[in-house]
Amino acid sequence: MLVIRDLVKKYGNFIAVDHLNMEVERGQIFGFIGPNGAGKTTTMRIIATLLAPTSGQVLVDGIDVFKDPIKARGKIGYMPDFFGVYDNLKVMEYLDFYGSAYGIEYRQRRKIAQDLLELVDLSDKRDAYVDTLSRGMKQRLCLARCLMHNPDLLILDEPASGMDPRARAEIKGILKELKRMGKTILISSHILPEIAEICDSVGIIDRGKLVIQGSVEHIMQRMTGRTAVRIKVLRDVDRAVSLLKEQPMVTSVIEEDQELEVICRGSDEDLWQLLRILVNNDVPVISFRKMEGNLEQIFMEVTSDEEVAL
Amino acid sequence: MKRWLYNPVLASSLKTRMRGWRTAAAVTAYLGVMLFIAYIFFKISFENEIMHSLSVSANHSVGLRVYMLLAVLQFVLVLLVTPAQTAGVISSEREMQTLDLLLCTKMSPLSIIIGKLLSSLAFILLLVISSIPLFSLVFLFGGIAPEDVAMLFLFYIITAFAVGSIGVFYSALFKRTVVSTVVSYVTIFFLGIVSVVLGVYMMAVHYSQVPRPNDYYVPFILYINPAVGLSDLLSRQAGVTATGVSVGIWGLIFGVSSGLGVQQGWFQKLPLWVGNCAVMSVIAALLICASAWIIRPYKRLRRKS
Repeated sequence: MLVIRDLVKKYGNFIAVDHLNMEVERGQIFGFIGPNGAGKTTTMRIIATLLAPTSGQVLVDGIDVFKDPIKARGKIGYMPDFFGVYDNLKVMEYLDFYGSAYGIEYRQRRKIAQDLLELVDLSDKRDAYVDTLSRGMKQRLCLARCLMHNPDLLILDEPASGMDPRARAEIKGILKELKRMGKTILISSHILPEIAEICDSVGIIDRGKLVIQGSVEHIMQRMTGRTAVRIKVLRDVDRAVSLLKEQPMVTSVIEEDQELEVICRGSDEDLWQLLRILVNNDVPVISFRKMEGNLEQIFMEVTSDEEVAL
Repeated sequence: MKRWLYNPVLASSLKTRMRGWRTAAAVTAYLGVMLFIAYIFFKISFENEIMHSLSVSANHSVGLRVYMLLAVLQFVLVLLVTPAQTAGVISSEREMQTLDLLLCTKMSPLSIIIGKLLSSLAFILLLVISSIPLFSLVFLFGGIAPEDVAMLFLFYIITAFAVGSIGVFYSALFKRTVVSTVVSYVTIFFLGIVSVVLGVYMMAVHYSQVPRPNDYYVPFILYINPAVGLSDLLSRQAGVTATGVSVGIWGLIFGVSSGLGVQQGWFQKLPLWVGNCAVMSVIAALLICASAWIIRPYKRLRRKS
């Protein structure tokens, strides 16, 4: 459904997207994960025909989005990472407006809008002004907007950011329903676990490059053998960090206040050795906790150490 | 409505603009200002006549003066209101972060620009049309034919179109509405004042070189000044109606040449205000195309390829 070949986007000397290659199959939910500034939004804007790439090719259902952007737009529903709503429009008028911008006939778009409001659970708000809606409702309305022309591919840029858990769960529920309807969804987030449970496959992007791509299980398998440990020290954080980095088993150290998140290879025996080194060097360790392997760690490791062998 | 005639941006703006009290209040305030100034003018005129001749005569010269006053007043208001209406149409879309959403629909950048411009001009048109009853006061005194008023209103519409396209252009060019609004007003100032200063200077230079000119020289820069066009139109209307000759619209456009001047060539043979309208329309069309080019997402790609 979506094929990206050797995509490059440069702003002067800065490379926002660096020879990106990826494929998303029809009917899949693909999680596009990366820290802020990794190139997710740039890539998504290029796919949505809003930004010209420096080089490369993007095919949506076989249509080259740069050669035939108007035709490609009919296939793409783009939801940016901001709300973008006209506050002087009512909910129904808002959807009607975008429906008309996609060239849908009046009667047809009224029917589509009603169905979509039902899908996103906003039927009772159809006559409410858009600016009176809550953040979660606005986000659902934006999702309905990008479905008005019945696109095959949905590009959702951080749809769950800044939302409370309930609103996030609602969005996830809608996305699962859309998948059931056969839509292909490219969804981005800077928090991997946030969307991992609904994604068929994920791609982790960092500094414009796709670092790892595949199904969640596949990535987990490739990452086995690594353990995350959370260490809390009373003081001498810098000394603890430098000591940890000297150890060959340690692949990355992330510092958060007085706490350190350490990713390392090896068994529990190796972890004991690590703790012993810290204690023997008079580092005042007050907590040493092994964390269960999860996607957050993988994400942290992949995006913090580009050199790591996967 | 025919599909090619239907512009979603225009349709949506027309619907939402008339909602609430703001538009009604704006029209009321606009007419209130015009009515108040017309009233003050009437009052002063009649008081002067009473002081000098001890009687009041409602003749066509009073009507003509009131007409001139209202015409100039409305012109100034159109010049002041239009940039405020148009200078934020694209930049505010950027500020509200809705421009991307529009650009990724099937609407072309040109139709977005035209829809935005027309929706702003629709408001100006509403103001101008709502002032027609005020202008009909002039008919009480005579001296002005309905065709004159129709032609004046046509001139307003073309002026609003041209000034509006300047606002839209800056709105597309600058990201912030404040900047585009300020630059639009500066440009209007240049068109209104600086072009006259330059034009007069060029005329002075021209006539100093030709001791006995047998033609009227009108520098091109004056054709971009709508105020010069208005003064030409009004002087023609005053001249024609003062002699009681009733000529139709075509007669005024092509037959009469009593305004600022006539020069060689077909373009210069047209009355100055018609030439002014033509030049403003061409500039407006160019600015609209330039605005559409500025907002189109793929301009860099096409330029490179």
